[in-house]
Amino acid sequence: MTSHAHAVHGDMMVPDQTFEPGMRIYNMKLGMWVFLLSEVMFFTSLIGTYIILRFAHPDHFADPGVVLNVTLTAFNTFFLICSSVTMVKAFAAIQKGDQKGLKLWLLATIVIGAAFVGIQAVEYATLAEEGFVPAAAEYHAVGRAAHEAGAAGAAGAEAPIVGGPLYGATFYTMTGFHGAHVSIGVLCLIFVLIRAMRGSYTAADHRGVELIGLYWHFVDLVWIILFTIVYLI
Amino acid sequence: MATTAATSGHHDTDTEHHHKLGFIRTYIFSTDHKMIAKQFLIVSLLFLLLGGLLAGLVRWQLGFPGQPIPFIGGLFSDTTAPGGIVLPEFYNALVTMHATFMIFFAIMPLLVGVWGNFLIPLQIGAPDMAFPRLNTASFWISVPAGFLMLASFFVDGGAAGAGWTAYAPLSANSEYSGVHMGQILWLVSLTILGFSSITGAVNYVTTVINMRAPGMTWFRLPLPVWALFITSWLLLLAIPILTGGLIMLLFDQTIGTGFFNAPTDGEPLLWQHIFWYFGHPEVYILILPAMGLVSEVISNRSRKPIFGYHAMVIAIASIAFLGWVVWGHHMFQSGMNPLLGTTFMISTIVIAVPSAIKTFNWMGTLWRGDIHFDAPMLHALAFVSMFVIGGLSGIFMASAPVDIYIHDTYFIVAHLHYVLFGGSLFGIFAGITFWFPKMFGRMMSPTLGKIHFWLTFVAYNAVFFPMHNLGLKGHMRRIYDPNQYEFLQPLQGLNTFITIAAFVLISSQLIFAVNFFWSMYAGEKAVQNPWKSNTLEWTAAGHPPGHGNFPGGTPRVHRGPYEYSSPKSTDDFLPQIVPPDRVLRPAVPHEPSPLVTGD
Amino acid sequence: MTTEAHTQGEHHDPPYMIIFGVLLVMTLAEVGYAFLSLPKVWLAVGLCVMAIWKAILVALYYMHLRWEPPRLWVLVAVPLPLVVILIVAVLTEF
Repeated sequence: MTSHAHAVHGDMMVPDQTFEPGMRIYNMKLGMWVFLLSEVMFFTSLIGTYIILRFAHPDHFADPGVVLNVTLTAFNTFFLICSSVTMVKAFAAIQKGDQKGLKLWLLATIVIGAAFVGIQAVEYATLAEEGFVPAAAEYHAVGRAAHEAGAAGAAGAEAPIVGGPLYGATFYTMTGFHGAHVSIGVLCLIFVLIRAMRGSYTAADHRGVELIGLYWHFVDLVWIILFTIVYLI
Repeated sequence: MATTAATSGHHDTDTEHHHKLGFIRTYIFSTDHKMIAKQFLIVSLLFLLLGGLLAGLVRWQLGFPGQPIPFIGGLFSDTTAPGGIVLPEFYNALVTMHATFMIFFAIMPLLVGVWGNFLIPLQIGAPDMAFPRLNTASFWISVPAGFLMLASFFVDGGAAGAGWTAYAPLSANSEYSGVHMGQILWLVSLTILGFSSITGAVNYVTTVINMRAPGMTWFRLPLPVWALFITSWLLLLAIPILTGGLIMLLFDQTIGTGFFNAPTDGEPLLWQHIFWYFGHPEVYILILPAMGLVSEVISNRSRKPIFGYHAMVIAIASIAFLGWVVWGHHMFQSGMNPLLGTTFMISTIVIAVPSAIKTFNWMGTLWRGDIHFDAPMLHALAFVSMFVIGGLSGIFMASAPVDIYIHDTYFIVAHLHYVLFGGSLFGIFAGITFWFPKMFGRMMSPTLGKIHFWLTFVAYNAVFFPMHNLGLKGHMRRIYDPNQYEFLQPLQGLNTFITIAAFVLISSQLIFAVNFFWSMYAGEKAVQNPWKSNTLEWTAAGHPPGHGNFPGGTPRVHRGPYEYSSPKSTDDFLPQIVPPDRVLRPAVPHEPSPLVTGD
Repeated sequence: MTTEAHTQGEHHDPPYMIIFGVLLVMTLAEVGYAFLSLPKVWLAVGLCVMAIWKAILVALYYMHLRWEPPRLWVLVAVPLPLVVILIVAVLTEF
C-alpha cells in the first residue's frame, strides 16, 4: 500500500491523480492564477479611482502628451512586451530541456524588466522637475512644452498650471504600484535564474518557470491597460 | 487504491520520515494546518478578550457618564482618561478600535483562520493544505499587523478614532481628528493583514478545488467546507479593493495627495464606495463560515440529514453573489445618487431570501429530530434564532426611507451585534465546543458549557435587544455624551441597564476561558468519534491527527456527509468512508421513515 | 497516467512571434489613434477596445489560457463583472 502515485517521469506538471479531478492543472499553477485574480481587484481599486476622478473632475487631467511623455512610454511599453516574449521563449526552452536557452532568455527578461523600471524612474524624475508631483500642495505642472520653453530661456510670466493635483496623485499611485510589481517580478526572476543555474529546472519539472512566467505576463497585461488609459486617453 | 499520506508527492512533506521536528518547527513555525489553526485560535481569542474590554470601556462611559472607571481608572494616561474619566477623543478611539479588533483580529481569524485551517484538509480527506509553508506565512503575517494595531494606542495622538469605517475627510486629515500616527498605523496594520487573508484564501481555494479525496465530489462536501470555500472567494476579491483604498487614504494622510479631500477636488464619497464595496462582502465573510459550522452541528446533534443540502449550497453561493451589489445600503444617507440608492434597496431586500431559505432549512433539519441539547447544539440554536432577529432588523434598514431615520443610530448597532455576536460568535462557540475533542483530544466540561451558554445568552440579549429601542428613539451611535441632547436624557436609565448587562456578559466569558483551558489538560478523554459524526475528520486517527492526517492513505468517500438516521444502517449515522458492502443492514425490515430520504 | 493532463502547449508550438508582431502593430495603432481629432468618447472607446484586445492576446497565448482546461477560463472570468460593477456604479454618482 505504499505505491506512489507519481513514479512516472514528467508527472510534476500534471495534476495530482490521488485526488478528485479539480481544475485539472497542478496546484501551484492554480494557486498562481487564483492569486492573480486578487491582483486584478487590487488594480481595479486604483485604476477605477482614476477613471472615476477623471470623469468627475476632467479639468484636473490633460490631453495625451501635454504632461506625460507618450513617445518615451510607448517605447517602454514595447520594451515590456518584448520581455514577455523573452519570458515565453525561456519557458519554451525549458519545455524542450534546453538549459542554456532557459538561462539566456531569463537573463534577457531580467535585463529588459530592469530597464523598464529604470526608464520609469527617469520618467518620474523628469515629471517631478516639470512640477508634476503627487502632493496636492506642491503640484505645479506646467506641461512638457511650457517646461521646455522655460528651459530654453523664453522666460516670461509664470507658465499656467496644467491639470490639477488629482492627476499627480492618481498617476503616481497607479504607475508606482505597477512599477513595484515589475520590480518584485524582476527580483523573482533573478531567483528563478539562480535556481536555473543550479539546474533545478528540467523538461519534466519546470513549474517555477511557468509560475514566474504567469506573473510576468500578468504584469505586462496590466501595463497594456494602464498605458492606454493613462497615457493615451 | 490506497496511497501513502505523502500522496501529493510534489513537495517533500515529512510524512514518510518520522524524524522529530524541533520545538520551533512544531509549535512556532509549524507548517501543519492543525497547529496553525490553533495558533490562530489562541491569538484571536486574546484579541476577542481585548475587543470585549474595549467595549466595556465604551459601555462604562455610556452607562455612568463622566464617572471615573473603577479599579483600573488610574492606569490611564492624561490624554486618554485623566482621573479615570474617559475623554471624548479617547471614546472615539475606543469605538473605532473595539470594532477594528473584533472584526479583523477576532472574528475573521476565528472563523477563517481557525476553521478554514483546521477543517478543510481534514473534511476533504487531504494530508494538508496545498501550500503548507504559505499557510505558515499567512499566520505570521498577521502577527506584526496585530502589533502595529496595538502599538497605535501608545503613540502621540492616540489610536485612530475615525470609526472602523475610516470615513474621509476625518480619517484623511489629522488637523480634524488630532490623530496622525494612530491613523497611519491603523492603515498600515490593515494593509499588512490583508496579505494574510489573501494568501490564506489562495491556499483554501486551491486545496478545496484540487485536493478532495476520491469520491468527495462537490456535492458530497460538508457544509463548513462549502461555506469556507465561498468565503475564501469573497476574501480573495474584496480584500484587495480595501487594500487599494487604504493605500490611497494613507497617501492622503502622509504624502498629501487629495484623493478623498474636497479642497483638492477629491471625493469623500469615493472612499465610502471603495470601502463598502469591500465592506459588504466583508460582512458575509463574517457570517458564512459560521453558517457552515452551524449546519454541521445542527444536523449532527439532531441526528438528521441537513434539510435541502443543495439549496443550502446554492443559498451560500447566492448570498456571495448578491453580496457584491448591495454595498450602497450602507450609504443611503451619504447624499449618493438616489437612483443608485433605489437599485441597492431592491438588491438588499432580495438578499434576504437565500438567508431565509437557510433558516427554514435549519428548522426543517431540527423538525422531529433526535435533538441533543448539549453545548454545541445550544450555541447553534442561539445562532439561528439570534441571526433571525438580526436579519429581521436588517429588512428595516434595507428600505431606504426607513433607513433615513434609523441610520447611524443604535438600531444599527443592535442589528450588527445580533448578526455578529448572536450570529458569528455563537457560531464560533458552537464550533469550538463541537470540534474541541478533535483539536485537543478531550471533551469540554458539559456543565460549564451550559452555564456559560445560558449566562451569555441571557446577558447578550439584555445588552443588545434594548438597543433597538434606543435607536428608534433617536439615540445616535458613536456618541460620547448622549445627555447633551434633551430628548435623549430619559434614555440614560436604559443605557445604564445595558452597561450592567454588558459587564455580566463580559464576566461570563471567564467561564468559557476556564472551561477551555482546564479541559485541554484535565477534560474527559475523547473517544474516536464522540459525536458519532459522518465526516472524515473523525476517522483520522488521533486527536489531533498526526502530520499527514490519514496514515492509512487518502480515504475513499462513498456518500454525502449527512446520512444520519439512514434506513440503510442500524446505527443513527453512516460515515462517508464506510464502503457500501460494509454498511450495517437493519436486522428487521421496516418501512423507511418518510422523513428520511430513501435512495 | 499522463494522458489528457499532459503538459499543454508542448505538442503545438504557439505562434509567439506572430502574437508579438500583432501586439507591436496594435501598440503603434493605439498611439496613432490617440492623436486623431475625434470626439473624446470615440477615442476612449476605441482605445479601450484595442487595449482589451491586446490583453486578451497576452492572456490566451502567453499565459497559455488557450490550451488550459475551459474551467480555468471560468475561474479567470470571475473578477471581470466585479470590475465593471464598481466602476460603472460609482460613475453614476458624477
